Amino acid sequence: MKTTVLLLILCCSTAAFAQIVPTQSSLSPAEQSMAAARKLIDKNPKNFEAYNALGLALSRRARETSDVIFYTQAEDALKRSFEISPGNFDGERTAVWLLLGKHEFAAALEKAKELNKKMPDDVMLYGFLTDANVELGNYDDAEKAAQWMLNLRPGNLPGMTRAAYLRELFGDLDGALELMDMAYQSTPPNEAEDRAWILSQIGHLQLNSGKLSEAESTLQQALAIFPGYHYALSNLAKVRIEQRKYDEAVNLLQQRYNGAKHAENLYDLAEALELAGRTDEAKKAFAEFETKSLLESVRADNSNRELIFYFADDAHQPARALEVAQAEYARRHDVFTLDAYAWALHMNGRDAEARKHIETALAVGIRDAKMLRHAGEIALSTGDRTAGEGYLHKSAELNAPGSNQARVLLASLSEPKHE
Amino acid sequence: MQPNRLRQVLAVLVMACTLPCSLFASSHREAPITALDRTADITDWYAFVSYDHPDRVTMILNVDPFLEPSNGPNYFPFDPNVLYEMKVDNNQDGEEDITFQFRFNTQIRQPGLFTGFVGNLAGFPAITALDGPGSEGLSLRQTYTVTMVKGGKSINLTDGRTLFAVPSNVGPQTMPDYQSLFNQGIYDLGNGVRMFAGTVDDPFFIDLGAAFDSLNFRMGVGGVLTPQVDGDDTHNYAPDAVAGFNVNSIVLEVPITWLTVDGKLHAAGEKQAVIGTYGTTSRPKITVRRSPATALNAGPFRQVQREGNPLINELIIGTGSKDKFSMDDPKNDAQFANFFLNPLLATVFGTIGIPVAPPPRTDLLPLVIYTAPICPGCGPKDAGPIADLLRLNTGIPPTPVGKQKRLGFLVGDVAGFPNGRRPVDDVVDIASRAVAGILADPVKFGTPIGDGVNTNTEGFGTTFPYVVPANSGRNSHHVGPGQEGCTGQPGGICPVQ
Repeated sequence: MKTTVLLLILCCSTAAFAQIVPTQSSLSPAEQSMAAARKLIDKNPKNFEAYNALGLALSRRARETSDVIFYTQAEDALKRSFEISPGNFDGERTAVWLLLGKHEFAAALEKAKELNKKMPDDVMLYGFLTDANVELGNYDDAEKAAQWMLNLRPGNLPGMTRAAYLRELFGDLDGALELMDMAYQSTPPNEAEDRAWILSQIGHLQLNSGKLSEAESTLQQALAIFPGYHYALSNLAKVRIEQRKYDEAVNLLQQRYNGAKHAENLYDLAEALELAGRTDEAKKAFAEFETKSLLESVRADNSNRELIFYFADDAHQPARALEVAQAEYARRHDVFTLDAYAWALHMNGRDAEARKHIETALAVGIRDAKMLRHAGEIALSTGDRTAGEGYLHKSAELNAPGSNQARVLLASLSEPKHE
Repeated sequence: MQPNRLRQVLAVLVMACTLPCSLFASSHREAPITALDRTADITDWYAFVSYDHPDRVTMILNVDPFLEPSNGPNYFPFDPNVLYEMKVDNNQDGEEDITFQFRFNTQIRQPGLFTGFVGNLAGFPAITALDGPGSEGLSLRQTYTVTMVKGGKSINLTDGRTLFAVPSNVGPQTMPDYQSLFNQGIYDLGNGVRMFAGTVDDPFFIDLGAAFDSLNFRMGVGGVLTPQVDGDDTHNYAPDAVAGFNVNSIVLEVPITWLTVDGKLHAAGEKQAVIGTYGTTSRPKITVRRSPATALNAGPFRQVQREGNPLINELIIGTGSKDKFSMDDPKNDAQFANFFLNPLLATVFGTIGIPVAPPPRTDLLPLVIYTAPICPGCGPKDAGPIADLLRLNTGIPPTPVGKQKRLGFLVGDVAGFPNGRRPVDDVVDIASRAVAGILADPVKFGTPIGDGVNTNTEGFGTTFPYVVPANSGRNSHHVGPGQEGCTGQPGGICPVQ
């Protein structure tokens, strides 16, 4: 599971079912929903709505745990729903959700469009349209769909969290924080995981806008609300890396990896191990990552972004980086894919093309220190020192993950002048 | 926006959508719509002449359904992003002339503390006050403001004071004297204005499980009450599904002279005595891209929900139009007249053998226009547009506590629903009977339909703020079939069948 935006989706419909079973603190909101839906199914095995609810609950459990097995189980539940009531709308809508969960973005978009024609007032379908378009890099369409959500039901949580993400992509980090704060205030107290999720996003935004200590306390709060939450662990690890507390970062990422053994989680861990100077462990983790990531590389739900950077920066096999990047670029044109693709092109000496793609990404508005640093290096390689330094300065100013490397580069650029 | 509680319950009946009883506590939030925006969800709207002050009107806006007392701590009882409003029309045009606005603010006083409320623990004394000594453990605390908008002018009614919302009742260790905290949340703002906001016991009462099961009421046959059960205003014969749940309540009492068109008191026979009221929740309009330098909360608001007369929304408006209804203004309600003159629920009653009045249902008109019996002083020209307003004749004196009848207007207690609405009014039974046609012909269409839940399990307040303190998170419980809590039944055990 990638930590992208799909998660946003889950803020809504399942929240409902989480309320059914009276508080059982030992169960997570998703588990409560799962139990409630199963109870309904036991009572009446022909209740397709209960199967839909079970499907939703299971996909929410996937978000809670980041364990994809729940998506498979959710599909089984939906299959059962359609057997009882072929083509029922709720089931179809949940199917879009699952497609997004499995990163089948193009298929999800097609299906969401189709359902949207049938039921133009359904708010959540606009949410799915937003998600699919964001992931595919169709930002104009994504913005339109998100604005529809906000217009149809002012203040709805799924709409606000999606709009927040778009603001972030458009470079308005303060505006994104503002909406996430509002979303947090509107989230019911017992929706522990939703609240932890929003806090994880707030922590991420604070970190990316240079507010390190605020990010730290926000993320600790998220972990207090939902202990061991993978999104919070990974963002807190980023904070620790910025604080140069590498061993602590390793511990957090190890904890996350133990909970969810995904390739991309292993990549983050390997990087942290390397920073911590634990070279042997890092080497082992990178090797394991490579094996794991290659196995899933052709699937829709993959860790190709990490794999590209791994081949480009860690394994020093630029040709292989480009191979993966081209495959990924064929699937989607979102800013992060464009960044990885541009970096792979750059590592293969194709700087003009690289620059075109990184600038397409930056034109969306995103202010990401790492991406700006890439843009800086690429521009320098094309011989455009002014543009290159400009990007590097922007990266450094953000005071966020990636800024340090930009600063180091800028310093090395100014050295020859003093000779 | 989202169908509120009753609206949803009864809408579900209409659709014959089947959600089993066990879902009751959540069914309100089950629809994706409701799940989208809970804090702005209006559960109930009340307006009545104050029992002990016949020259004042009390209005109650309840929001955020089914707060589980133990599911705390409820950090944010009210949503600082929501504009809560009470609106009053006093000149029969269906548009508000006076608006009371409520905005909440959340303070975090102990940032290091992870729970909202702590008492007798970790160095914090028990919570015995909303402010000052004894309030230290109220880590998360809400203040609010109340503003009256009249003739284009905004007047702050807080009287220079800081008003605190009463927090949820965590339990006896944290809050040993919750009643005292509740009392501290009652503010006399002078000039005959009293104010309360906080988490309270939900005064609403209904056998929701039976209602959901396609009107499978437990009492009598097909939901028809025996004369004995029908005449009992103090006992429950079926489980009150809302028992033991809390709700967030805003209660305001103002002089009638503040509300009438000419600032005077009027006798019941004069049209100026009658006001039309409703409650709304609104949220700031948000755009994906921020317009530069505009503070978000200063922007325009969009109404997300309204409630006037409980009857209209719940029984009449088709599910496909509920959102449109919620976001529109009462004065435009003529567009929904179609639903109104041929209510689907009447057909449902018909299919289970209850005699129902034939369409068009002009007998329901008094609920949506200004006319007799609520406005005997209104001539044909004073009817105003079809509008879902809870109409209140301020000239009708309050019925003293003890003499009030749950069936209100239907049984001669003319200070009760549908002349305004008091917490004691059994709107489920009244509304069901109105839909069947009791207003058209009480003999032919006056079947005593009812759910057997005749009163609020936790009782009612007899004076301001009329709501009663929140159920304790540690010590409260709910009422279900086969469980204790039905005082009208042998041994107090609620029936399953």
